[in-house]
Amino acid sequence: MKNIIYLFLFLLVGLGFTACSDLEETHRKDLTILEDLDPDAVLQSAYNSMRLPYQDQSRFWAAQEHTSDEAMGPTRGPDWDDNGIWRSLHNHSWDADHAFLGSTFSELLQIVYSTSNLLAFDPSAQTAAESRFLRAYVVNSLVDGWGQVPYRDDFQDLLSDAKVLSAAEAVDLIISELDAIEADLPDGPANVANKDAAKVLKMKTLLNKGMYLDRANPSFDQADMNQVISLADDIINSGKYSISTNYFDNFAPNNDQISTENIFTALNEGGISSGNVRSRWFCGLHYNQNPSGWNGFCTLGDFYDSFETDDLRVRADYPGMTEVAGINAGFLIGQQVDGDGNELMDRKGNQLAYTKEVALTEAGDNLEITGVRVMKYPIDYNSGDNADNDYVYFRYSDVLMMKAEALMRNGNSGDALAIVNDIRDARGVSALSSIDETSMLAERGREFYWEGFRRTDLLRFGRFLDAWEEKPASGAERLVFPIPAASLASNPNLVQNPGY
Amino acid sequence: MKKLLKLCFSASLLCLFSMSMYGQRTISGTIIDAETNEPLIGANVLIKGFSTGTITDIDGSYSLQIPDGATELMISYTGYTDQTMTIGENSRMDISLSQGSLLDEIVVVGYGAVKKRDLTGAVASLKEEDFNKGVVISADQLLQGRVTGVNIVNNSGQPGGQATVKIRGNNSIRSGADPLYVIDGIPLDGRTAKAGLLSTDIGNIENSNPLNFLNPSDIASIEVLKDASSAAIYGARASNGVILITTKKGRTGETQVNLNTSFGTSSTLKEYDVLNGDEYRSALSEYGLTNGDGGGNTDAYDAISRSGSIQNYNLSIGTGGDNSRVRFSAGYQDVKGIIEDSGIKRYSGTLNAQYDLLDDRAGIDFFVVSSHTSEEIAPISTNAGFTGNLIGQALQWNPTIPLMTDGEFTTGVNNPGVGATTINPLQLLNGHSEVANTTTLLGSVSPYFNITDNIQYRYRFGINYGTGVTRGSITKDLNVQGVEGLGFAGASTNQLVTNLHTHTLSYTTDLNDNLSLSALGGFEYQKFDFSGYAFAGFGFDDVEPNVDIVYNLQNSDNDNRIVTSFADPISELQSYFGRVNLGVGDRLNITATVRADGSTKFGANNRYGIFPSAAVAWNVVNESFLEDGPFDDLKVRLGWGVTGNQEFPAGAALQRVVLNNDEGTTFQNAANEDLRWEESTTINFGLDFGLFDYRLTGSIDYYNRTTRDLLIDAQLQEPGPPVRAWKNLDAELVNSGFELGLNAYIIEKEDFGLNFGVNLAFLNNQLQNYTGPDILTGDLFGQGSSGAFIQKHVDGKPLNTYFLRDFQGLDESGNSIYANDGALVEAGDPNADIIAGFTVGVNAGALNFGMNWNGAFGHSLYNNTAMSVIPIGNLGNRNIDGNLLGGTTQESTANPIASSTRFLESGDFLKLANATISYDIGAVSSFENINISLTGQNLIIITDYTGFDPEINTVNLRNGVPSSGIEYIPYPSARTILLGLNVSF
Repeated sequence: MKNIIYLFLFLLVGLGFTACSDLEETHRKDLTILEDLDPDAVLQSAYNSMRLPYQDQSRFWAAQEHTSDEAMGPTRGPDWDDNGIWRSLHNHSWDADHAFLGSTFSELLQIVYSTSNLLAFDPSAQTAAESRFLRAYVVNSLVDGWGQVPYRDDFQDLLSDAKVLSAAEAVDLIISELDAIEADLPDGPANVANKDAAKVLKMKTLLNKGMYLDRANPSFDQADMNQVISLADDIINSGKYSISTNYFDNFAPNNDQISTENIFTALNEGGISSGNVRSRWFCGLHYNQNPSGWNGFCTLGDFYDSFETDDLRVRADYPGMTEVAGINAGFLIGQQVDGDGNELMDRKGNQLAYTKEVALTEAGDNLEITGVRVMKYPIDYNSGDNADNDYVYFRYSDVLMMKAEALMRNGNSGDALAIVNDIRDARGVSALSSIDETSMLAERGREFYWEGFRRTDLLRFGRFLDAWEEKPASGAERLVFPIPAASLASNPNLVQNPGY
Repeated sequence: MKKLLKLCFSASLLCLFSMSMYGQRTISGTIIDAETNEPLIGANVLIKGFSTGTITDIDGSYSLQIPDGATELMISYTGYTDQTMTIGENSRMDISLSQGSLLDEIVVVGYGAVKKRDLTGAVASLKEEDFNKGVVISADQLLQGRVTGVNIVNNSGQPGGQATVKIRGNNSIRSGADPLYVIDGIPLDGRTAKAGLLSTDIGNIENSNPLNFLNPSDIASIEVLKDASSAAIYGARASNGVILITTKKGRTGETQVNLNTSFGTSSTLKEYDVLNGDEYRSALSEYGLTNGDGGGNTDAYDAISRSGSIQNYNLSIGTGGDNSRVRFSAGYQDVKGIIEDSGIKRYSGTLNAQYDLLDDRAGIDFFVVSSHTSEEIAPISTNAGFTGNLIGQALQWNPTIPLMTDGEFTTGVNNPGVGATTINPLQLLNGHSEVANTTTLLGSVSPYFNITDNIQYRYRFGINYGTGVTRGSITKDLNVQGVEGLGFAGASTNQLVTNLHTHTLSYTTDLNDNLSLSALGGFEYQKFDFSGYAFAGFGFDDVEPNVDIVYNLQNSDNDNRIVTSFADPISELQSYFGRVNLGVGDRLNITATVRADGSTKFGANNRYGIFPSAAVAWNVVNESFLEDGPFDDLKVRLGWGVTGNQEFPAGAALQRVVLNNDEGTTFQNAANEDLRWEESTTINFGLDFGLFDYRLTGSIDYYNRTTRDLLIDAQLQEPGPPVRAWKNLDAELVNSGFELGLNAYIIEKEDFGLNFGVNLAFLNNQLQNYTGPDILTGDLFGQGSSGAFIQKHVDGKPLNTYFLRDFQGLDESGNSIYANDGALVEAGDPNADIIAGFTVGVNAGALNFGMNWNGAFGHSLYNNTAMSVIPIGNLGNRNIDGNLLGGTTQESTANPIASSTRFLESGDFLKLANATISYDIGAVSSFENINISLTGQNLIIITDYTGFDPEINTVNLRNGVPSSGIEYIPYPSARTILLGLNVSF
């Protein structure tokens, strides 16, 4: 017995001595090095990582819309104060610590990284082209928002300080990249980067170039405008797109099948994997509607009044939504009803009847019902939190409107008016008799409301600093967002934008 | 030299031979303290009239060859009364000595034990009689309020919930500031294997206490190594202090059987002052609101809470023969929480066995703890959105609307007054289930061999295996966003395995009459392995009410399932350590330690950290100039040391890329080859004293701990991967303070005793030399709080300093006024400046009474519950804080919810944390002793704080940086009464 114990002890002690380690940390779950990466998988990730900054209600969309004359996130008594984060967007009082602007900046730059990084891993020509397209798209948003873009050519050394592209360098980069990749991009479908999407992005960049270079005094180079026109003609002449008979089909849960306008979208797979496109309806719907919403954002009375009453873009019953929950597509104003037509009440017992009158800080007993709500994307009732509606980046009508604007800026208002009136006709409203900057901007507002372009449009038309509902005239520094404090601190090459 | 060795060797061989040739018999045994039964290390055992003798070893045991003609043994031990025993026929003589002085207590330190007299560092030692009584689920609760400078704040009142344990202040700007726990020489991982469910809109549930597995009644003593000179032997894991837990062992002699049972009841310590139905109606009419009166009187909190109940059963049997000592115990604890559907059950068993081999030249120690905990978890998350958690929903529930209507739960469907998003708390309780089962095995085998009389080699193999299985579900009838109409069920499993190999060689000798030396050298290897997987699904068929969909995961929609799995990189810690103690007479003790820790977690350029320490203690009382002074004890201690903190995730230094849920990959972590531990340098100056025949004893300590290379999961420079990267910040975190502990035996008579104890800690905490952007934390939750945060780590300020709008009262229209147009102002911090404890003990014959008061002062707490759960704007559909009414200005119901100093409250409190009265019935028939006791916990609380409990801290992380001092609808604290019966026979 004793011998067995000693043997056991001996073995045990021996066991202890075998345990010497060279301390190399070993992976079991994770991949170690990017050489192992499948570029196509990285590209897929890049597409998915576009979802948060573009589809969420608190990212680039908020930066483009809440700061404009067509959207607002009012504080409603106990709700939506959020330390003033929404109000500061609308009344142009944001600062370098603004969490949503900071997150947007970081997330967009992360996409610049991932789309650049995969290029080092021998992607196919098409994969490389798609990736470079996404990068160009994001760089466009960055220069649009912040006027300068931290950038790297070499992503192997992440510890060195990144260079910073000026607005002019960023615009040149976007255009040269789009030219370089066009041949390798696929023809479609809309939810992958495609040739037409590249053309639209180039049109947008050229149209805004003069604004990016001098925001206080935007100018429009004739040759750039001609390029916009010819790119538009390429797309028009392809015959692939037409104006949808139902405006809201472009945003419906099955818009990938029924839209005739969508040129570039983000794929959302219903019930499986989506961006936060559902926030487009949740953010406005009242708690007592179906689905129970967040009772937050609204549009402004003046903007709502810019529509004619029979405009098809204002209000339409939409199958799958209206009969289910009594909710129409377009704007929600006045008494709201449920799917059976019963009138709804708010939580305080008021009739749930949305009003045009709304204040940035709501007080009073009707604070739950103020503000016209916006239902651009018809609700997907079948997919839970992962709605099926593909998120729309570029639409055909924008190609037409950009062409019209370029024509107008080059002095051809006649052709411009014809295009605008074609679209107006399709939307069920009367033709305009003339077109100028003011009416062009207004029409763009009506056609593209809540699609994430309004701030850029206001900037290009020189109107972003104007006073409008619940917003005083703002200082020139507001033409560009501040570099977020944390980003500024991490890179000595970044210089804060003037005025912040 | 070689010759000399040979000579020595042959001489010792000769000695061995001569011993056996004479055929003398051997007597062995253990010398223990008569009162505490602790073994006495280094006691002298001499044979009267002969020059033969020995001293006891670390277990208090001795073994002696008895020459012919010997009749008596003389046992002496410094500070104890000498004893002479007649040698009889027995080969075993166990002797207990009565204590003469406190200074001869044995204090467990890293990889050994020393007499309190020889201690050089700041070590707090608690024996069983010093522990907190009452309902104790995890070992840290034994210490709460008992040790100077140790601040333990519960993260929730959930039985078995986690606590924030801070030894001498907040030592890290991120999470990972918990002390290292070492149980019988086995350092724990610090995490628990309890698995979490994939979260739904209900939010994340706080983790459980990693010490839940250990039955506190199996613990004999706890030592807290507070300063670096005592803790540095644990190197890279010692920065936050080390807590050494020693379990009870068997003893030679008669078999001791102990049965201990207790039963108790608990209730909510402190409730929120929300309106009852009638108050609500009058508030509605005061405000001229016509809606919102459902006609009834409902107390929703009452409906979800209950009288908790506690049952404890512990049985232990200790026994020992000539060459072995064994103790085993079995325990069962069932704590039903004060919130319905919450509680913890623990089944535990321990086995401790020591075997002496080779005539005590060698031996082997076995230790096994095996336990199973089953936690029932109520839906009380720390980060619930605007629909709140169970507690929030109960606080908000309109008190005029019944929770049940015609046998159905009242919801927005059958009562529009409720509102569609309001979740009925009773319905949530009914429709939510979550049970976390965790099984833990902690075991070690430790053989040792006394190579010579003063050199011992010891090996310890330890394993800690934990596995957690959690199942939970939410029924589809609940209007939880994302779950309504679908139902949710999930199951998760985690596995945590730690291996330990420790080799130590210890050497003790007297160099001359005046100089004693003990030295220790060791090698240690630890391996940590943490992995798990989880499954959850949505979209279940309608099932009968008694069928739980959690057992029917296959029924979920095919395309509405989530599967995840993880496995941290295996992390290893390989260490070399040593310690030298030098005793100069009875006046001076010098200790020096060093540890070299290599960790896989560190970057390739920083594989090993070196952690040295040195300390000196001067027993001034033994100097001739104090010979006639008033002091029984006067010792000055001075210590310095370097410790590390490597409690950051495995794989933090590596570039890692993960495979996504569906397809594709995501960059997870950027490499940092320079990544290293946080390094703390501490100096400690202490003074121990005893006066009036030890009637008054105490210590005073000053410390200053500067932590450098602060770890943070920082934003990577853009454009970079969509990840953060771990880096060491070029900044210093300085914690300094004074500690004072006093014990006074005012009356010490045979049949009556009265004593007082005071412990006071003054703490100061500051971030220094930091130039980066402010580090943000203190996220708020609930309506009106998206993205809001209120705390920052800022250079030159204490951690978690509040930055808030300065609330100036209400304007004429009843809306809040903020100074300077709502500009944020610095508004104090949640770190207590003073932590105090006060104990009173009375014994009158067989009757004992003890109580202890705890308090913390000089800090501010933020009441996120009052701000966003029960604001005035709720009036008309949900309940409000009763304190909002009756002011001079009527607050407008449209007053926006906004974070401000309005909800910042003083956190000062004084609590009667523990009071126990016990009676020793004494020996009854065959029972050796029967003791009955009555314990109350949280009996009295004196505070102006309006929340549930100033000692609750709802921790939420922002980029890995924890909030502090913010209460957000936590599981409330309980007040407990426990009746205990302890029988030994």
